[in-house]
Amino acid sequence: MLDVPLNEAVTLADLTRDPYPIYKRMRAETPVVRMAQTGRILVTRAEHTKWIKENPEIFSSDDPTTPMKPAFQAHTLMRKDGAEHRAERMAMQPAFSPKVIRSDWAALYARIAEDYVSRLPRGETVDLFTDLCAPVAARILAHMLGLEEATDAEMIRWSQALIDGAGNFGYDPKLFEVSDAANAEMNALFERIIPRHQSEPNNSAFSVMLNARNPIPLSQMYANVKIAIGGGINEPRDALATIVYGLLTNPDQFEEVKKQELWDDAFEEGVRWVAPIQVSGRRVTQDVEIGDVAVAKDERVLTIQASANRDESIYGGTGEAFDVFREKHPHQAFGSGPHHCAGAQVARRTLGQIMLPLLFDRFPNMTLSDPSAVIWSGFGFRGPLNLPVTLR
Amino acid sequence: MTKITFVQPDGASQTVEAREGDSIMQTALAYSIDGIFAECGGAMMCATCHCYIDDDRTGEASETELDMLDCAEDEVRPSSRLSCQIKVTEALDGLVVHLPVPEE
Ligand code: HEM
Ligand code: HEM
Ligand code: FES
Repeated sequence: MLDVPLNEAVTLADLTRDPYPIYKRMRAETPVVRMAQTGRILVTRAEHTKWIKENPEIFSSDDPTTPMKPAFQAHTLMRKDGAEHRAERMAMQPAFSPKVIRSDWAALYARIAEDYVSRLPRGETVDLFTDLCAPVAARILAHMLGLEEATDAEMIRWSQALIDGAGNFGYDPKLFEVSDAANAEMNALFERIIPRHQSEPNNSAFSVMLNARNPIPLSQMYANVKIAIGGGINEPRDALATIVYGLLTNPDQFEEVKKQELWDDAFEEGVRWVAPIQVSGRRVTQDVEIGDVAVAKDERVLTIQASANRDESIYGGTGEAFDVFREKHPHQAFGSGPHHCAGAQVARRTLGQIMLPLLFDRFPNMTLSDPSAVIWSGFGFRGPLNLPVTLR
Repeated sequence: MTKITFVQPDGASQTVEAREGDSIMQTALAYSIDGIFAECGGAMMCATCHCYIDDDRTGEASETELDMLDCAEDEVRPSSRLSCQIKVTEALDGLVVHLPVPEE
């Protein structure tokens, strides 16, 4: 058994800029390693990250020391285990089920996507990221959660405030002021629309929770809706931008995908290649071995699904490349175990089956003239920060 | 020795030898059976291990399993089960598991 090796060289700034060469080396040399700058243990091999997430008794999500609680003004389901976690999650899950998506949302999503795509100016260069990816994700989510009254701009701002707060490991009070203000606005809206959901119930998450036979406490309904706002905008937005980038920088694949309409495959490959949520944290509840490394109770491990998704033991030597036509293997972009993404089917359908086909039906010859102008960033969450494409 | 037969919607079937203590879902993954994805790894959180089993030996789905089955992609029938919730034992020798029709 080995002690956890220490890496004093790698910084969060390095990982935010370009984590992939660093993870590749870690997978080969130190798959379980402590990062001196944060004290946390990084786990980079697919086999280990999956095992950690599927064993919540040993690797708990319940961690009162993360800034998630002040940011959301609640202990949310993402940070709970066991029966309590399940009760809160299942209260909301029906709104995200494939059947409800088909029966209630598919037509609406198609209309929303159509509407936003048709506003894009043909022949011009636009930033797809701000002009399409973010607002469409926001509008769709507003409907699915039952918050039609919220504007795109509000949804986007709240989401960012929650995420910045939840990632506020430096406990900067200014960031919590921003998330507190967003919480106040969200709470006011939720309160205002309760009567509507009581008199006209629908299949939105808020409605389903409010009208359940055994409702969970109102405070947890609020927390759930906020988790979905925090998790339901940036990830689809980043995923869409990543997939479009992957296709436009690989013209051969792009042509073949269009010809065969392989949008679902393009979606899966995009989120595998650059996982929108790259890292998840777990608290170690007992002394345990990860591979041949001894990890003590009360340590915090960071499972790096971004790295797992390129692991040589699954993808051979080709994992670093975007390749829609690679042999199919399960990836971990949606996590695994009890906290497996509640919105995975929603994301697949809205992006793979509605957004991508529609976008490229309208602009089949879209180009990205200068890929080097696209800036990638992020350690916890990752994606392009801009996507200047010319619409044709 | 426990043999389990997986039947695809088109009737194609494959009989495999299951390891005692594995779940049906794990057995399916071990033999790369089409139609079982098991994205949550058996935590009863994804319903992508949905199958149909018409056989008393596997008992009844729990309340929690039924709730999750409501979120399955495909048609839910009285014989619907989450394959991650059924453990392989010798008593299940000869079990037949039908995979759902992928819906598009
Ligand atoms: C491409 C898009 C998306 C990706 C890559 C993604 C990824 C993830 C990942 C990796 C987790 C697990 C975190 C952990 O293990 O601690 C997660 C959890 C979650 N996601 Fe997503 N997500 C996406 C879209 C969505 C959407 C659209 C929604 C809302 C409708 C959503 C709602 C949630 C919720 C509620 C959880 C918490 C589940 C729990 O703790 O039980 N996600 N997501
Ligand atoms: C000195 C600075 C930082 C330290 C020490 C730090 C440390 C950590 C730790 C320990 C975790 C795991 C949390 C847990 O136990 O669940 C974590 C998760 C995370 N961090 Fe950071 N972090 C820092 C900066 C950042 C920055 C700048 C960002 C955003 C760009 C960020 C985004 C995230 C995200 C998104 C997660 C995953 C949250 C989750 O899965 O619940 N962190 N970080
Ligand atoms: S594997 Fe996810 S519910 Fe069975």
